[in-house]
Amino acid sequence: MTAKARKARSGEAYEDACEGDPSGYDAESYAGAILEMKDVCLAFGGVRAVVDVTFGVKRGTIAGLIGPNGAGKSSLLNVIAGALKQTSGVVLFEGRRVVGRSAHAMARLGITRTFQLSGEFGGLTVLENMLMGARRQRGESLMGALLGPRFWREEERTLVDRARRLLGECDLLAKEDDYARDLSGGQRRILEILRATMADPQVLLLDEPFAGVNKSTARRIEEYLRVLREKGMTMIMVEHELAFVDRLCDDVIVMAQGAVIGRGTMGDLRSSREIRQAYLAG
Amino acid sequence: MNWSFFVTTMIVYTVTSTIACWGLDLQFGYTGVLNFSFIIFEAAGAYTASILTLGSPTAASNVAQQNYFFGANLPFPLPWLAAIVVGGLLGLLVGVIALRRLRGDYEAIVMLVVSLTASYLVISNIGFLNGSAGLALIPSPLQATVGLSTSGYTWFYAGVTALAGIVVYWVVRRITQSPLGRALRSVRENERAAEALGRDAVRLRLLVFAVGGGMGALAGAILVGFINAWSPGAWGFPETFTLFAAIIVGGQANMGGVALGAFLVPGLIFQGVLFLPQIGAPGFVDSLQWILSGVLILLFMWFRPAGVLPERRRRLSKLASRGGAAGSEA
Repeated sequence: MTAKARKARSGEAYEDACEGDPSGYDAESYAGAILEMKDVCLAFGGVRAVVDVTFGVKRGTIAGLIGPNGAGKSSLLNVIAGALKQTSGVVLFEGRRVVGRSAHAMARLGITRTFQLSGEFGGLTVLENMLMGARRQRGESLMGALLGPRFWREEERTLVDRARRLLGECDLLAKEDDYARDLSGGQRRILEILRATMADPQVLLLDEPFAGVNKSTARRIEEYLRVLREKGMTMIMVEHELAFVDRLCDDVIVMAQGAVIGRGTMGDLRSSREIRQAYLAG
Repeated sequence: MNWSFFVTTMIVYTVTSTIACWGLDLQFGYTGVLNFSFIIFEAAGAYTASILTLGSPTAASNVAQQNYFFGANLPFPLPWLAAIVVGGLLGLLVGVIALRRLRGDYEAIVMLVVSLTASYLVISNIGFLNGSAGLALIPSPLQATVGLSTSGYTWFYAGVTALAGIVVYWVVRRITQSPLGRALRSVRENERAAEALGRDAVRLRLLVFAVGGGMGALAGAILVGFINAWSPGAWGFPETFTLFAAIIVGGQANMGGVALGAFLVPGLIFQGVLFLPQIGAPGFVDSLQWILSGVLILLFMWFRPAGVLPERRRRLSKLASRGGAAGSEA
């Protein structure tokens, strides 16, 4: 275990790490990084969920975020997504500070996420779920709605066509008019990822996308994530199934007790005794 | 029995209840907000329309010597429009207080408290809106202008009420059938996911509070023009549950269902039974309204929670261009 992780576990580092003044941060960008974190801390009262996390994610890559349960991976993802506000530290998106922005503001900037427990809209149909992925629709303002279908129907038709193409690629087209609550767990996972891509996000945050899905569905998700990377999308993926991380991720960050304790390829990380210990201890 | 009076009363009560229920359904059925204070918006509309038609409280025409803080004698339809504006603004005010941080049970409790507080505020400040005695002798809109007999005028008023109902139907349908309606339903289904997809859930909830509040206020303004009196007894917090009962019985997020519920519960049960002959002990018929309403809520929640006419599935695939799913994104 690294000195930083040991300090984090004991709580020694927390006071130093979490009480810094983020306004004094001098942005030291990683070359080609679309998303950077510098000294990010998150605390819930006395519980330290994320401690002094610093790393960057390069554009067009998939970064894996691994670690034992309670390592702070999902909390960190929530901070990046704007669902939780960090106690201190800085998050930079395309070189811009995005501290304190809400989840919907982050989504509008181009950071979209999926959820650990499926985040489908159960009472909406599959196609309606897909259309919720598209932002800034003409008919979503009060005035746009009152102006009627003539004002928004063409855009709606275009979005429906696009959504159906995406659903067709993942064999979900037959379910397009079904309620999302009637889909299987694996289909919901796929729907959530497809819906997120409807927004054309620059960064896609995936919280355990392979959790609870069967092998063939997992293969399909894996293939689709490769396609998205080829198209230039950046992804951060929290995942417990290391085989997927090994095959998909260009860069892997290991967390334990809220802190980053290692980084590299899965091959490098597997040989690290500290990381094996952290997993066993976690 | 005076059938003409019965029918026009049923029309006015059913249509105003339907307008109010559509407003509440925008909040509850479509967006998932439990607004247990909805009746105060109807009251705000009724009081606004009243004081804007009664004239100045210091005028000689105030023969009943009623106390209210402001008065004017505006021509129709300005009092109704003012009522809508007041209802909308009140919706924003209550929404900003209660909707920004609270959800679920806590939100519902705050709404109930808002309803009780509003009631006590009006009762305890006699100079505000004439306290528990309420306002009376409120002029009916256009009665002097159209020059009809009493019976003729009630039919005329029922017609104007129906016309207002059609306009409100058009507005609500435009909202609910549009992408905005879909965004509202997404907030109802999973607020966190809606936020993660770029929807400002607080703004959407505030929007339905303002729009629904305006509709509730319009219902109150129309009703007070028909019954010519309004007091705190007309808008106690249990009245909100009557509207909820209508929505639960008729079918949430289904405009036809909600209209049916408004006909059955506030219309047929609450007004219809008043025309029944007195049976049983004194006051039994009045109690029967609440007993029937409560039993209906229980039965529907148990056996048919989606209501008589459940929410309709929206088949967007009908919108697809021919060959719309052909080709590949990748």
